[in-house]
Amino acid sequence: MTPTVSASGLSLRYGGTRALDDVSLRLTPGVTGLLGPNGAGKTTLLRVLATALPADRGAFTVLGHDPGTARGRQEVRRRLGYLPQTPGFHPDFTAFEFVDYVAILKEMTDRGVRHREVRRVLDEVGLADVRGKRIRKLSGGMRQRVALGAALVGEPGFLVLDEPTVGLDPEQRMRFRELIAGAGEGRTVLLSTHQTEDVAMLCHRVIVMAAGRVRFEGTPAELTARAAGRVWSSTERDPGAKAGWRTGTGTFRNVGAPPPGAELLEPTLEDGYLLTLDDAGAEVAA
Amino acid sequence: MPLTRQLVLPVHRTLPWGVVGMAGVAGLLLTALTRTGESAERLSAYLLRAAILAFAVGLAFLLDDPARHTTAAVPTPRPVRIALRVALAAPAAAAWWTAALLLVPPGVRPPVGDITLEAGAACVLAVTGAAAGVRFTEVARPGLPVAGGLLTTAVLVMLFWPGRWALFVPVEDERWAAAHDRWGVVLAGAVILGAVCAVEPLRRRVRF
Repeated sequence: MTPTVSASGLSLRYGGTRALDDVSLRLTPGVTGLLGPNGAGKTTLLRVLATALPADRGAFTVLGHDPGTARGRQEVRRRLGYLPQTPGFHPDFTAFEFVDYVAILKEMTDRGVRHREVRRVLDEVGLADVRGKRIRKLSGGMRQRVALGAALVGEPGFLVLDEPTVGLDPEQRMRFRELIAGAGEGRTVLLSTHQTEDVAMLCHRVIVMAAGRVRFEGTPAELTARAAGRVWSSTERDPGAKAGWRTGTGTFRNVGAPPPGAELLEPTLEDGYLLTLDDAGAEVAA
Repeated sequence: MPLTRQLVLPVHRTLPWGVVGMAGVAGLLLTALTRTGESAERLSAYLLRAAILAFAVGLAFLLDDPARHTTAAVPTPRPVRIALRVALAAPAAAAWWTAALLLVPPGVRPPVGDITLEAGAACVLAVTGAAAGVRFTEVARPGLPVAGGLLTTAVLVMLFWPGRWALFVPVEDERWAAAHDRWGVVLAGAVILGAVCAVEPLRRRVRF
């Protein structure tokens, strides 16, 4: 399958910190999850791929266009939707006016077509009833949906979502999952998140980053499989475990190198993620 | 062109008219002081400069955009968006400056062309500072630090700028003409720097 995004050797420094260190990846249609701890370089990578921040080194193409040229970047932006980590708004605009403003910035100059498209995305994100309401009067979850609507306007082929579910209550998160799953049908979505359950439920591929580098790239099942045979149950916290916690049943769930004869448990994607980060930490320390 | 035309109204609504308006009123109040007596008349050039500085401080907020990150990856280029903001603010700035000049009694009004050059340079410097704030930082509202920098720079220039390169000279000073040649250089430099800062970089400087 031809990748929507193909990147090789992306590197970027902030002062003495390597935010991205030789990152290479390929993204295909569907939802790809991007996991990593704070400071792993997720937001930087998303901003580079969204053409909001140029890299120091490396190259990438989006939908066949090279954002390293002015023309290529503009072509990419014509087919890109970007939801930043902390979306800002003009609070006096209504939801409709704001998405319409973004649609104009996305070069939709035919007013009739544009207004139909704005109504369509506001319907899609569930804001049809409040589209005439000023953004300052909307809840945090609704504002997040306005930002998603702005990202979706113009039917982008590549959608970049930076922690869209952060700060949302469980109901809103579920609603957002529906929206992202819908958005991933027929287009490429790169979803940065701290929520491993979002990745498990939504993504066909997952990338784990730590210290600016890609530590894992594969399917959620492959990431989960990394923890096979490395999760066990015990009545006391195992001091040899990388992580361990008391579960609701009173037993401890341990992750790491199990002792001989340990009662092994079925691993989750979160276990695979934790062990991948642990392996990455050991690699950095070495 | 249809794109720019359709952007006029929404961009007009995003401009910080409140701050610019307050700065303009403060500037006009300062200018009105030239009508309060003989000693004030003697200080007319300085009062007018203080008014210019007040208004320029307001213009430092011109590129404040709370939606900056939400609209970071749209195809309409940043120079177009900045140019549109400047173009929309320009008539208001021209009207303000005309009002400020008319407030100064004709007998004590500094040479209009020269003082307009100073005003133009100060306003362009303010917008250039804001463009630099957008170009080199991630902040959505660079106005406040740029305004602070502009005020500080103005005070430092008045206090410490070498006399042979003086910019703020009295009308009767023999260095007036030379000072305004320098203001011309400042204006040209600010325009060039502003144009450079308005462009989005395709690549960062490699620092490996």
